[in-house]
Amino acid sequence: MQAENIGGKILSLMEENPGITVKMISEKLSITVNQVEKVLDSMSDTRQKILIVDDEMDALVSLKVALEAEGYNVVEAKDGHEVVDKVYSELPDVILLDLMIPGIDGFEVCRLLKSDEMYRHIPIIMLTARNEVDDKVEGIELGADDYVTKPFNLKELKARIKMILRRQDI
Amino acid sequence: MWNRKSKWNLLLFAAIVLLLISSIFFLWMKTNIEVRSVVEEQYQNQQLLLTRHIAGTIEQTLNERVSLLEVIAKTDSGVPEDNFKSDIKSVYDIAGLFYVVEYVAENGTIVSGYPEEYVPLGLNLHENDVSYAFEHVNDTGDVYITDPLKLMEGNYGSFIWVPVYEGDIFRGAFIAIIKESDLKDRYVVESNSSSYAYLIDERGRILYEGNQNYERGALYVDIFGSNVSGLQEIIAEQINGSEGNGKYFLLENETIYEEKLVSYSPINWYNQKWSLALTSPSSEVDRLIVSVYLKLFIVAAVSALFIVFVSSFVVIILFNWSKSLEKEVGEKTQELKESNESLRAANTKLKELDRLKTEFLSIVSHELKTPLTAMRTSSEFLRESDECSIPVRRQMLDIIIRNIDRQSRMVDDLLDVSRIESNRMKYHKEHVNVVEAVHTSLEMLSTVLKEKNMNVLVEIPDSLPSVYTDRDKLVQVFINLLNNAVKFSKKNGTVRVSAQEDDDFIEISVSDNGIGMSGEEFEKVFDKFYQIDSTSTRKVGGSGLGLSIVKGIIEGQGGTISVTSEQDKGSTFVFTLKKSMDEIDG
Repeated sequence: MQAENIGGKILSLMEENPGITVKMISEKLSITVNQVEKVLDSMSDTRQKILIVDDEMDALVSLKVALEAEGYNVVEAKDGHEVVDKVYSELPDVILLDLMIPGIDGFEVCRLLKSDEMYRHIPIIMLTARNEVDDKVEGIELGADDYVTKPFNLKELKARIKMILRRQDI
Repeated sequence: MWNRKSKWNLLLFAAIVLLLISSIFFLWMKTNIEVRSVVEEQYQNQQLLLTRHIAGTIEQTLNERVSLLEVIAKTDSGVPEDNFKSDIKSVYDIAGLFYVVEYVAENGTIVSGYPEEYVPLGLNLHENDVSYAFEHVNDTGDVYITDPLKLMEGNYGSFIWVPVYEGDIFRGAFIAIIKESDLKDRYVVESNSSSYAYLIDERGRILYEGNQNYERGALYVDIFGSNVSGLQEIIAEQINGSEGNGKYFLLENETIYEEKLVSYSPINWYNQKWSLALTSPSSEVDRLIVSVYLKLFIVAAVSALFIVFVSSFVVIILFNWSKSLEKEVGEKTQELKESNESLRAANTKLKELDRLKTEFLSIVSHELKTPLTAMRTSSEFLRESDECSIPVRRQMLDIIIRNIDRQSRMVDDLLDVSRIESNRMKYHKEHVNVVEAVHTSLEMLSTVLKEKNMNVLVEIPDSLPSVYTDRDKLVQVFINLLNNAVKFSKKNGTVRVSAQEDDDFIEISVSDNGIGMSGEEFEKVFDKFYQIDSTSTRKVGGSGLGLSIVKGIIEGQGGTISVTSEQDKGSTFVFTLKKSMDEIDG
């Protein structure tokens, strides 16, 4: 939330005073120059943004590396609360959501986002080691756009992400 | 308790008992009546015999007396000189019953007699107009006996006229008088019995009657007037000259108040046809059989009592039986309830077990797939991207290796769990020095310990006996517990290992001053895959099976394990193992 607010404030400052410097913004908002630059960087990043949610560090890191190599901007979250924060602040283009995460569980996160007018357009691909039909059905019913079981084929996952993002563009 | 139905049953039972008792009393009455009729018949026969006997005796006596006169009346030698005076005297003496015996000459004059003071000598019957009987015997030539007549002395007596013949020539007649009172004196015997006798002639007139209160010449039936029923028939029979038994009833206000049993027998004394009767009240019969009644009554009463006793006994037995049945039914119902309850509990438990199994499988599959995911992603990435940088390549390979190790640890742990649960865990027991085992474990954990800069205290006395256990398993236990302690400790924490003797056991405790657990948590800490919060094990990189395996190993060797813990203060695991009993074995 904080990050989003800052982004909004920076944008409105920049609109009001064309030619305002980073330093001035940091002074006005009483945050460090570094933070301002980081926010501006992320706002100016045109790559498609993927939010990966997984509490298993190794799985998360390997997928992040693989997707970054594909040219995606990857944001990570390790639990349910972090997911919600990251969605609000980063506005990802797609979410890879592991269902077994601490805090708010995957289904609940999905329900939460899909019931929010602001964020329901963000496609969600559910990732889980559980291979039960009921889980898949529940996920789809909650509005998940796709459902991939672990361990997944990396090529296939990338294809699915691409497809969903293309669908989103249209 | 008696419910409605058993009340009806009881009533039915009571009715049956009443029926039985009343049938017994009915039979008693019936028997009484039969006995009574038999006894009455016997009594009457007896009475008849007595009557016949008395009548016979009287008849014989009277006829004999007359015969004596007849003997002297048949004279061949004519009237003796003394006008039969000596003969009369001897007859009088022999007979002993006559009041007087006289001889009337053929002209109607009394010429002799004995005893002389009663004889009206010289009295002429014709002249005195009392010659009817004399004429009669003269005409018929038969003995004639008059009805009792009043004598000059005021008494009554029967006159016996016996004609005297010489050949075929009528020579007068003998008159003999038998006084009624003499006859009575002879035959009426005072008795205390309630028997009562009467004597009537052929016209039904009273000749004698036990109570002596009758008018001369009165008819016997007239004594009772209209207060009698059935007597007339009897009198008629008597007049007929029959012999037999009869009954009549004395009435009072038209109702029977006494029944009389009568036995009668005829007395034939020449022309006089009398009938003697003996009567007795039928209550006499009852008096005779009253003891029989009593005994029969006692039998009936005893039978009734017996029935009542037996039936109450049966009722009590049935009552108890039904009570015990009720009790049994209650118990069985209770048992059924309990067994239902336990079945339900077992069912719940089975369902729970089933759920746990499913959950376990689901967790296992998840735990096995998670490292596979990392491995697959990393390796696929490596194959795809040939020109990635060395650090990235290394990072990916590290991920793969780490996850392979994790996978094999998980498989090992699962195998251990499986062995423990199916009791197939093998223990190669030997005498193990606890301190050595602790040090081996600490060496294997040195990297982890250094990472968190843990302070390890081993407080085991030198004198501590060795334990009899599987060395490798004990090391595994220590590794798991110490690893657990380190995982849940902050940096620079302290882990303490201590041991002491406790009877046949060695009690070993591993404690830390880490984050600890709440009561709810440490109850489940030995469950498979229990995760205090679902990330904690992963954060610290465990399989979630370590403590479950530790518990299995300790309990599989007859030891116990428990945990105490306090939130934010740390946890203490205490387990026991059998100590070596015989040092020589070691």
